[in-house]
Amino acid sequence: MRLRRWRWIALALTLTSGTALIAASAAASVEAALQPVSRWWQSLSTPQLRVPEGWPRPQYDARHNPVTRAGFELGRRLFYDPLLSLDGSIACASCHQQFAAFAHFDHRVSHGLAGANGTRNAPPLFNLAWQSSFMWDGGVTHLELQPLAPLANPVEMGETLPAVIAKLRRDAEYPALFAAAFGSDHIDGQRFLRALAQFLATLISDASHYDRVLAGRESFSAAESRGYATFQQRCAACHAEPLFSDDGYARDGIDNGDAGRALITARIEDRGRMRVPSLRNLGYSAPYMHDGRYDTLDQVLQHYAHGIRDAESLDARLPPAASLRDDEIADLLAFLDTLNDPNFIDDPRYAEPSAR
Amino acid sequence: MDRPGRRARSLFALPLAIAALAALSACEGGEADGLPLRLEISHEIAAQPLKPGAEYALPTGEHLSVDRLRYYLSNFRLHAPDGLWSTAAHSDDDARGYFLVDESQATSRVFDIAGFAPGQYDGIEFVIGVDAARNRQGAQNGALDPAQGMFWTWNTGYIFFKLEGHSPESSAKDHRVEYHIGGADLQRTVYLPLGGKPLRLDARLLATVHLQADVGQLFQGASALHLADKPTVMDPASGRVVADRYAAIFRVDHLHHQPRR
Repeated sequence: MRLRRWRWIALALTLTSGTALIAASAAASVEAALQPVSRWWQSLSTPQLRVPEGWPRPQYDARHNPVTRAGFELGRRLFYDPLLSLDGSIACASCHQQFAAFAHFDHRVSHGLAGANGTRNAPPLFNLAWQSSFMWDGGVTHLELQPLAPLANPVEMGETLPAVIAKLRRDAEYPALFAAAFGSDHIDGQRFLRALAQFLATLISDASHYDRVLAGRESFSAAESRGYATFQQRCAACHAEPLFSDDGYARDGIDNGDAGRALITARIEDRGRMRVPSLRNLGYSAPYMHDGRYDTLDQVLQHYAHGIRDAESLDARLPPAASLRDDEIADLLAFLDTLNDPNFIDDPRYAEPSAR
Repeated sequence: MDRPGRRARSLFALPLAIAALAALSACEGGEADGLPLRLEISHEIAAQPLKPGAEYALPTGEHLSVDRLRYYLSNFRLHAPDGLWSTAAHSDDDARGYFLVDESQATSRVFDIAGFAPGQYDGIEFVIGVDAARNRQGAQNGALDPAQGMFWTWNTGYIFFKLEGHSPESSAKDHRVEYHIGGADLQRTVYLPLGGKPLRLDARLLATVHLQADVGQLFQGASALHLADKPTVMDPASGRVVADRYAAIFRVDHLHHQPRR
């Protein structure tokens, strides 16, 4: 009740100050001046599973799990809670940091219990509702079931779902949070996973410079334009717009012995194939590739340009001599920069909830 | 809300559906939408009652002791002599119609399947495992809650059938035997005739079908499994040979009818 009144007051303030400012200055500076206000205004809302202009329908069907404020906030709290791990040391957020677009900044492979290391690079988390599968090998086929993989992995959180449910039931606060989200304080695997899915499905990143250019509100520089053309010609077969992934699998030219997709399908032709990652927010999510071997995007592009020795390890959609000229690489780097979404990594609604 | 049996559907489908929906919203999970059938399952191994930990000789000449036996049964239908089927109650919102049988939980071996139309039946059909549609539907609850421990986290899907134990012939560590069978197309449909005497479902009787499940059947016949070759099966690709055998373990032992209350 009280919150609602404050929101109206805020709206009135926003409108009056906005009108005054418009009268006084040019449109661009108004936007800049209003940014803290609009940011604060946004921070009061609950993210929804909306479909940005021009995007396909999400793969995740939220009809049975509509996003609510209480459900989203519960999912957010669970995401940041190390209670989910065996010894209370690792939260989802330990390897998925918001400032790194929910990847693990500066870590080549995922880290888990007692210093254990995984074998693959923790992926960034955004636009997950548009993915039909998860993990580098695509072994998980539903957003709601994805958290079970790191939860149960002995070198990540090393926990079991029944044990997490038992801990949540014993907790002083969670039963009430589940009641607020789902109508009763019963806690089971479905409610736990649906709450997490409400948080994960609404991690939407669609406010990059690229998105504003497509919407006709900004324009590319000359280098960005050339880079976009090169991208469309050389990269888009796998990294399809607007999500910058075709939701499929490809060989990235790195054979480190990881069977990838073949671990799931047991088909020889899938050996070494990995999920095609999105190119959005690369500016935040280093290091790169499925084993996290490259620290910079320049290294990644040099790898595609010159570094691939074993043609077997490369997807057929990439020409044998992937030969990118240095000026093309420079333009591509300029274009890839336009896919960063600072609004997403600063959005306070996705940040760690204040201490209990 | 699923249909209340195809026998009744021809004439009364719409009014019945409305009535059933109304009944469901009024009293969740009641019997208003059909009659229950009780199923009782006894586990055997090589035609002897299964005792956890005890060692049995298998038809293959190998030996097996069972520590854990758990599996899903679902999609029950009853077949009437006129060729029509009555289908058990089913809901997208919960796990009704899905049963997790666990040798170590006596209560899981006796359960009521709701939602059948009154009438006489001469056969029963069910699925060992979880149907492909439900297997793809995200986080489920009740018997299908992933917290039941019958779910693969690294390769999404239910474990349909879990048999764990030991065998002196097993080459695995500690002579362990571990069969975890699941995967998109490894559920198997079983049809069992109910024998000479028909099964009667009406409001005054509680009808029970007593099944026997003999896990020794996995190790019987031309496609028998051999523990020396295959002590461990833990992924969908290699589970097919086991799935192709597990329909053979069930048979109808007897039916009985008793007055209700």
